[in-house]
Amino acid sequence: MERKKIIEFRNITKSFDKQITLKGVNLDIYENEFVTLLGPSGCGKTTLLRILGGFLKADEGSVIFDGQEISDKPPYERELNTVFQKYALFPHLSVYENIAFGLKIKKLSKDVIDQKVMKMLKLISMEGFENKNITLLSGGQQQRVAIARALVNEPKVLLLDEPLAALDLKLRKEMQYELKRIQQEVGITFIFVTHDQEEALTMSDKIVVMNKGEIQQIGTPEEIYNEPANTYVANFIGESNILPGIMLDDYKVRFDDKVFECVDYGFKENEPVDVVIRPEDIDIVPVEQGKMTGEVLSVLFKGVHYEIIVETVPGTKVTVNMNVIRSLEETSADGTEKINANNFYVDVEDVGALDEKEIIARSNAMAWDTETDEYISIANIECEVLPEIGQYPVKFSTPKGTTVERIISVVNQPFVKNEKAGEGIMAFNFVKSVDEILESQTLDTDIKTWANAQGWKLSDENQSVDISVDYDFDPEKIKEGKVYKITFWTTGREFKIHTTDFTEVGKEVGLNFFPEDIHVMSRKAY
Amino acid sequence: MKKFSNLAIPYIAWAAMMLIFPMLLIAMYSFTEQGNSIVSFSFTLDHYKKFFTDPDFLIVLWRSLWIALKTTLICLLLGYPLAYFIAKSEEKVQNTLVLMVTIPMWINMLVRTYAWIGLLSPDGLFSMILGFWGLGEVDILYTEASVLIGMIYNFLPFMILQINTSLCKMDNSLLEASADLGGNQVQTFVRVILPLSVPGIINGITLVFLPAVSSFFIPKLLGGGQYFLIGNLIENQFITVGEWNFGSAISMIMAIIMMLLMMAVRNVELKNEGGKGKKVTNEEG
Amino acid sequence: MKKDKRIFGKILMTLLIIFFYLPIVYMIVFSFNEGKSLTSFTGFSLRWYEHMLKSRDMMSALYTTFSVALLATLISTVAGTIAAIGLSKSKKIVRDIMEQVDNLPIMNPEIVTAIGFMLLFITFKVEKGYVTMLLAHIAFCIPYVILSVMPKVRSLDPNLADAALDLGATPLQALTKVIVPQIAPGILSGALIAFTMSVDDFIISYFVTGGGVKNLSIMVYTMSKRVNPSINAVSTLVVVIITIALLVINIIPSVLAKRQQSEKKRRPLWVPALCTACVLSGVIAFVILGTNKDSQQYPFYGQELYLYLPGEYINEEVVESFEEVTGATVIMENFDSNEQMYIKVANGESFDILIPSDYMIERLISEGYLQELDHSQLTCMDVLDPAVLHQGYDYDNTYSVPYFWGTVGIVYDKTKVSVEDLETQGYAVFLNQKYKGDIYLYDSERDAFMMALKNLGYSMNTESEEELKAAYEWLVTCVQTMEPEIVTDEIIDNMAQARKALGLVYSGDATYIVSENENVGFYLPEEGTNRWYDSMVIPQNAENVPLAYAFMNYISTYQHAYDNSAYVGYTSPNLQAKEDMYASGGDYEGIEAYIPRMGNSNDEIFHFNLDTKKIIGNLWSKVKIAASNAE
Repeated sequence: MERKKIIEFRNITKSFDKQITLKGVNLDIYENEFVTLLGPSGCGKTTLLRILGGFLKADEGSVIFDGQEISDKPPYERELNTVFQKYALFPHLSVYENIAFGLKIKKLSKDVIDQKVMKMLKLISMEGFENKNITLLSGGQQQRVAIARALVNEPKVLLLDEPLAALDLKLRKEMQYELKRIQQEVGITFIFVTHDQEEALTMSDKIVVMNKGEIQQIGTPEEIYNEPANTYVANFIGESNILPGIMLDDYKVRFDDKVFECVDYGFKENEPVDVVIRPEDIDIVPVEQGKMTGEVLSVLFKGVHYEIIVETVPGTKVTVNMNVIRSLEETSADGTEKINANNFYVDVEDVGALDEKEIIARSNAMAWDTETDEYISIANIECEVLPEIGQYPVKFSTPKGTTVERIISVVNQPFVKNEKAGEGIMAFNFVKSVDEILESQTLDTDIKTWANAQGWKLSDENQSVDISVDYDFDPEKIKEGKVYKITFWTTGREFKIHTTDFTEVGKEVGLNFFPEDIHVMSRKAY
Repeated sequence: MKKFSNLAIPYIAWAAMMLIFPMLLIAMYSFTEQGNSIVSFSFTLDHYKKFFTDPDFLIVLWRSLWIALKTTLICLLLGYPLAYFIAKSEEKVQNTLVLMVTIPMWINMLVRTYAWIGLLSPDGLFSMILGFWGLGEVDILYTEASVLIGMIYNFLPFMILQINTSLCKMDNSLLEASADLGGNQVQTFVRVILPLSVPGIINGITLVFLPAVSSFFIPKLLGGGQYFLIGNLIENQFITVGEWNFGSAISMIMAIIMMLLMMAVRNVELKNEGGKGKKVTNEEG
Repeated sequence: MKKDKRIFGKILMTLLIIFFYLPIVYMIVFSFNEGKSLTSFTGFSLRWYEHMLKSRDMMSALYTTFSVALLATLISTVAGTIAAIGLSKSKKIVRDIMEQVDNLPIMNPEIVTAIGFMLLFITFKVEKGYVTMLLAHIAFCIPYVILSVMPKVRSLDPNLADAALDLGATPLQALTKVIVPQIAPGILSGALIAFTMSVDDFIISYFVTGGGVKNLSIMVYTMSKRVNPSINAVSTLVVVIITIALLVINIIPSVLAKRQQSEKKRRPLWVPALCTACVLSGVIAFVILGTNKDSQQYPFYGQELYLYLPGEYINEEVVESFEEVTGATVIMENFDSNEQMYIKVANGESFDILIPSDYMIERLISEGYLQELDHSQLTCMDVLDPAVLHQGYDYDNTYSVPYFWGTVGIVYDKTKVSVEDLETQGYAVFLNQKYKGDIYLYDSERDAFMMALKNLGYSMNTESEEELKAAYEWLVTCVQTMEPEIVTDEIIDNMAQARKALGLVYSGDATYIVSENENVGFYLPEEGTNRWYDSMVIPQNAENVPLAYAFMNYISTYQHAYDNSAYVGYTSPNLQAKEDMYASGGDYEGIEAYIPRMGNSNDEIFHFNLDTKKIIGNLWSKVKIAASNAE
């Protein structure tokens, strides 16, 4: 059945304050469709809708409605109506008067208006509310009135601008069905704007995914979900495992150091691609049967299924020493204040970034009043550190002149490189007193600071990688003079799997999936 | 939190002393025989009787209400389009215009009114301009016209600012909704903007009508000694004649009339607006 | 269509701006006028500014206006903010009631509020003056502050204060460190409203002030009768002050915002601190300015003389010279009418010298408000004109020393009015339709009735109700058929420019008018007139009697009496001064109006009679209402 195009957007561009909101959008919308414009806030979906409604003028391009160019028509001459985000119901009018507003403007006779309004009230199941004060209605009721107010004018197209955003979850679900029902009953085109992918999937005949002023994909909910056109869509609609890969040949993709069969073709040879596998498409199987193997890191119960994280490639680790020493605080001559600090290590390359704040943090320098135990600020730091390997003295003093001297060791610290995971990690040995360790309230974070532990992507040194800390001592029981091992590590490559079968944490498992579950998409900046 | 509510206690005491008690005093004086001692209180309704049985006083009252009404109407007719113009201007222009309207209000009312004496006098600028247009010299000063000009001059900013505030507060999506439903600019104005600006109009009316009725220096400066409004009557009773009890009675009458009028106006507002609807939707959003 | 609307709007807006600013610009322009006229610009000069700076009245009015405004703003902002925070945490019923109470001064006609305050202060016998004005201003400002702070307080997260307390802040710290910064915009706008209301206020100040304390509004109100370009000068000064204040208020926040951007994270706590500091230093500067005095030794050094007299009735230079000689300060308060003065005196307000008219002195004597004068202290009695002594109101001058004297007569435009009409019709010329719409009546009950009674051939001291009734009807006929303007001192400048054909004036004013405009004449009908004497008296509750005597003696000596009389235009009681003034070379050479008529048996002095006074008072009110209603 050939359906008629009712709306055509031709190369629409629009910018606000030099910021481009729409970058040449082309879109056809057919009769009787429930079309959803889906995208995060700021993607241009509402702008597109407002251009259609006539509240904004496109900078370029044309809007064709029913075969007619309407770009220059004011809103009140367009045969479409809008349900506004916060409904925009007229607070000075009753339910009846709100719905009758458009009809009265058209100067229809009173009995015709009456009839139509009553019909609408029935459609939205609000008979008997006609004389109610609009402001006293619940959100859901206001929503229905807003729909009725628009529909009563018998528009060819109804625009809905995030109409459910103001409702609570339960009501939102109800209204989703209600809206779909109304659309089917009146049989006109609905253009629905939302940022909620679930809403879009349940209600739409067609979804238009937008991002940054461009259309990413147009398709039925099934198409969008199962065949996302790019990683953006894959990520935005549902959950995904997205991994970098290389398309070796048609139907052959390599990722995670293995070659897999797939159904995709048409890429260049050895083209770097993104590979998307939906969590529910992966099955957990015994190790021998898996196309990949890994260790179960966590199992979360999600109601209908378990969400299982499996680590297929381990992360990176580095271990350093923590030397526990006796506290060597200095006391002022009159005994009223004390000051303390630690020696610490610093990488040659980082000397440049070593400012006073950093020195205080790294050395954990502090001074306090012996009577009140209140902290005193460090007034003066004297040191001269050169970007050369060696040891440099540093002097901290309080406003009253109590001073302590420590050593900064500039070293060339080697770091651990993990080519497979594409990351590097580094940490320093450090010296601490028992008191300092006991006093720490967020020990893991403090240890990271003391050791100056850092992780980064090999591809981009400025992109940091989260690091976790592991140690096997009891911080409450550490002793002076001992050396403790501390390990810093990053997480490895993980797969998210949705399955109804429970698996134990820590178990080695195999992962299995079908070639058609592998969605390969060209790596494109979006 | 109890501690914070205690903060109100000194003010409650102060308000009882400085705001409530004076009103009681006026009421008491108005029901008391000549004299001004609380001790020798003797109840009488004579002062009220005197006011209501003398057509001259009633005419003064009537004229005060009438000129205040005229002032209010003219302020409304001038103020609405101006407020609308300001509200529809670009934001920067809007701020400037609002400031332009506000600045004169900062300058002492007496000073501004005094300036009109020179402008309106027979050989003043106003008359000169009229003469230039061939309308001949008109001696407007010390007539009702000059009082009216003075009142409009003093009270118009209140009207403009109140209406402008209500127009600016209006949710733009309501105007879009109207256009969406087929309303052109005129229809949108009549059916949406005007009804929604009613609270602003009512505030404006209150702020113009109230001082216009009771004003006494504008008629005195611009109306001359023979122009009497109820405010002058009260001043006259207290300052020149010395009949405080009668003056108090007139004050009571005026306060009560104003209260009734304001209540009536507020009723219109309530009916028209049906509660503070816009707020409800906004809070949900 | 759309464009047309904007054009219409633009035209209207332009006209509005012209309408709003024309008077202000006009006023500023004429403050630089060389001449005295308010209508024709004759050249640039700063003389009115000089005059303003010299006029203590104006400077003290400025001081009063702004110091009251600053103090009232400061106090009402603090009190209002505290009250708003307190009320927001109070029970709903308390809040609702207080909301209504706060609305009292906002929704009540201002004059009612003013009268309420006046009665309050009188009931509690609080002496009216600066303090009462300040209290009243605070009282009507607080509700506005609450009104603007309350919504901000109500929209605060109720957990904020709890959170602060939870984190260890004391209630006071919670208030100053958490709540106040959050509601600062409301507080600031409340303060602005309070300041504007206070600077702008006239009605309330007018009713609650006393002891010579005037703010700008009251000063303009009392001075507006006479052409006085200094008012323009002082007004211009106010415009400049306000404009600077507005600029500061509008610019400071944007400057601060810029600064904040450059030095991030700095909390803008010092903004209110700066504002408070500015306000405080302003107040302090004002107080110092106001109290700064010369410190040389004089007989009455540092003492104050409270003088209560009609407006524009004294040469300020003479007062200044008196102050220089004695080291005392003269605080002058003006009244519009003897009746107004009586009400104040009867209410116990204290003055050292009053200058009422003859009949009022009679009344004050009979009611015991005056002190007998110690003639041994008076050195001035010998130089006085015998014509002013031994008059009925105080035959032996036991209580009073004459200050000015004169008659009441008709000034007329010689080019419009024939002397024949005056001679044949007397006061009835005011009923002559030929002059309809071209006459001034003087807004004084006894002089208006004098005119009517004399024309009807009755004594002006008649006690006959019928005669008074006839006079009342005579006057009603006049106001209903002749379209007179009933004026007070406006008549002086207007007749000096011959704006109307006829006017009833005091001889002293006539002297000035005739000296200004030779086309204007003065005529005393043969039917008789009111010969009057305004004299200095010392009330019982005077606080500085020796200084009062010093002043009486000083002002009566030849030179000062002459200067004073030359300045005001009224006839001096000092015989020599009077004669020299009229003689060739004198200031009022040959002007007959200066020499009061003696010897016409129809001329009378007004006597006090409580009953007739009341009748006349009420009837005159009604004549004015009738005049008003005749329009």
